Amino acid sequence: MRLEEATAHVARCFNGEPASCTYACPFGLDIRALLEKVSKGRWTPAYKLLRNAVVFPAVVGALCEQPCRAHCQRTQVGDEALAIRDLEVACSGWAKSRKAELFVIPPKTQRVAVLGAGPAGLACAICLAQNKFRITLFDQASGWGGSLRQHPGFAGFAADFSLQFTGVDAEFRYGTEIRSLAELGEYDAIYVATGKDGADFGLLGSWDRNLLSTSDPKVFLGGELSGASLMASMAMGKDASRTIESFLLAGKASGKPASDRSHCERYLDHDGAGHSPLVPKSDGRVYTEDEAKAEAARCFQCDCAACEAGCEMLKRFRKKPLRIGMEVYTDAMASSVISPRTMTRETYSCNLCGHCKAVCPVAADVGALLQFSRADRVDQGKQVPALHDYWLREMDFNATEGAFSAAPKGSRTCTLAFFPGCKLGAANPQHLLKAYDYLSEKHGAGIILDCCGAPAYWAGENQRLAAHLDGIRNHWRGMGRPTLVFACAYCEKMLRQFLPEIPRLSLYEMLAEDEMLVPAGGFPEATVFDPCAARDDQGLEAAVRSLARKAGAVLDELPQANRCCGFGGHIRLANPELYEEIAQHRAQASERPYIVYCANCREVFRLQGKPCAHVLDLVFSLDPDAPVPSLNQKKGNSLEVKKIIMEKSTDIHFIPETHGWDGLKLVMADALVEAMDRKLITADDLREAVWLAEQTSATFLLPAEGVWQCSMVKDALTYWVQYRILGPHEYEVLDAYSHRMRFSRED
Amino acid sequence: MDQDKNWKCGKCGVDLVPRKTSFSYLGRTFSHEVLRCPQCGNVLIPRELAEGRMAEVEQQMEDK
Repeated sequence: MRLEEATAHVARCFNGEPASCTYACPFGLDIRALLEKVSKGRWTPAYKLLRNAVVFPAVVGALCEQPCRAHCQRTQVGDEALAIRDLEVACSGWAKSRKAELFVIPPKTQRVAVLGAGPAGLACAICLAQNKFRITLFDQASGWGGSLRQHPGFAGFAADFSLQFTGVDAEFRYGTEIRSLAELGEYDAIYVATGKDGADFGLLGSWDRNLLSTSDPKVFLGGELSGASLMASMAMGKDASRTIESFLLAGKASGKPASDRSHCERYLDHDGAGHSPLVPKSDGRVYTEDEAKAEAARCFQCDCAACEAGCEMLKRFRKKPLRIGMEVYTDAMASSVISPRTMTRETYSCNLCGHCKAVCPVAADVGALLQFSRADRVDQGKQVPALHDYWLREMDFNATEGAFSAAPKGSRTCTLAFFPGCKLGAANPQHLLKAYDYLSEKHGAGIILDCCGAPAYWAGENQRLAAHLDGIRNHWRGMGRPTLVFACAYCEKMLRQFLPEIPRLSLYEMLAEDEMLVPAGGFPEATVFDPCAARDDQGLEAAVRSLARKAGAVLDELPQANRCCGFGGHIRLANPELYEEIAQHRAQASERPYIVYCANCREVFRLQGKPCAHVLDLVFSLDPDAPVPSLNQKKGNSLEVKKIIMEKSTDIHFIPETHGWDGLKLVMADALVEAMDRKLITADDLREAVWLAEQTSATFLLPAEGVWQCSMVKDALTYWVQYRILGPHEYEVLDAYSHRMRFSRED
Repeated sequence: MDQDKNWKCGKCGVDLVPRKTSFSYLGRTFSHEVLRCPQCGNVLIPRELAEGRMAEVEQQMEDK
């Protein structure tokens, strides 16, 4: 894996980047951080931050035109922008210490001449002097200040210059006019900041706006001489100091890249934010401490975290997209023995539902990144097999024993075929059979019973997925390339993504268009819960609403649509607590009962005790309260559906595979079956374990209690069963559990 | 606790005894004392161990 491959999915994320106001500031002042400190009354750190950015806070506090205010996102909700300049003044006023920060740096030998002791020259000079270059300022006037000398507030500015230059070595030569740069031959670099209409020594024509360099390699130029405003000139002086330093130390002038001004308009969504009016200054001049704190607290602290705001997984792991991108890469490079991986649990805790991408202003896609990571882990053999083993086995069953495809009876090909997906019939055979009857009678549809491959996709098993999709493509071609009709939005999403050559239709849209259908039952008031895979499919969403309304339901909408019910990405074994949290949140998102059109959503909500109906219950007048089948019942349902459809379309009597353990009768308490279902242990697994153990006598016994126990290793798990023997081939199961670790029978 | 009961091996008919046993997961191996048949070596893992300490270690290994 290359770093760029991992970070590409989230590269455009701008979480942690400066806010819009900062991009508008000539100094790039981190206004968000400044206001956060001010709001807490941390005056001295706030002042330091301000001074380090703007060099002379008194000048900026008095004269800045505040371009930041035009991009303050408070204005997005109709409030007045933050009073930045007043807060800067308050900062200078309330800071207990305004002493210059002096660092112990060895003095440097290079000499720099600064022509002009105005704000631009002073800003450059002080930054270089703080870094211990030998600075000499020249000015024709009798003192510092340049254009500010005429300003009525000059006394205050001069006091600020004195304060900032305290403890800094710089030589000032006033009343000195430099007529030619040849006079400055002893200096290693020169900064020309002679002010508006000042001398440019014939260099302005060759001036580089970005580097502030000129055709003379050691001469740099900037400030109001270049036509810049006062604030831009001061910022330029600071930038010039960096360029000159790089020239003196590295022999080549280089500067930081110019910030992207378009980011001034990168506004976030502040819907729902309350209004907060500008805090007035009670004395009309300077904020009191409390006023300044209150005004600063109006700052939204704009930083995008839209993905995290709505995602339980991102909230739980508290990592931002760019960091996730980095850690996906470092995990791929890590050897768990030497350097532990940090992203494994998070990687397998994502529903891959697409919510983060949908709410991201720049479409950063954490889900795609984590699916990429899952696939990379499989390629490198670093996956955790137990986390997806059950569903991959289920997929294999649905693609083999449970699979079937046929054109309508008497035909070899068809123009329309039903692709119900593996869950519809497993969860409720009537949903599948009624829909198939409808499609075959009305439209002469054939059928493909198969899995769409989502379990392999979610496990990161891309090769397995490709092989599976080849199988679907072959069945489809063999049936004369029919249009497939989908009852599961995720199946449709998978085939849209991986088999785009297959034309697709939605069962629900076909049903909604049928004027003859009379949906009934359900709930008088309900909420349609759209599955994550139906995102952006307005036709599908409208069709289900139309069917629900035809059944008499008054509908309302969820505040957030297309949230995953919790099932997506198969996170249940990787993070059972998170799965439960998500399922609960979704079930509680509306007080009304749900109408769903995804078999997984229905199962998740029913197990949460949420009243809900599948829209097919309304269409075909079925019982919405039909219980959720156990794992084994689902498998049986799939085989039963296949049997019925196979006989109907081919007259062939389907006989499922048989196993030695099929005849074992297990007696189990309902609570035990529920507990086993939660852990994805099936009754068939237990039958097989008992049967194998009884064959080999690899059992344990508590003779006094007549209790037996045995184990079976199967794929990624070891299953344990505790049982009593009730009679020939009849057992009462007392307990069942599993573990992922393997033990050795060798000493 | 199942561990405290007098389990016998179904094949050999003898009482199980605590013995050091080797476990492995995701490329790492550990050892722990569990009930085993002294003759055939068959291992009994009670639920408390499977869903307690073993599950904890499994999770730690998976997170690395």
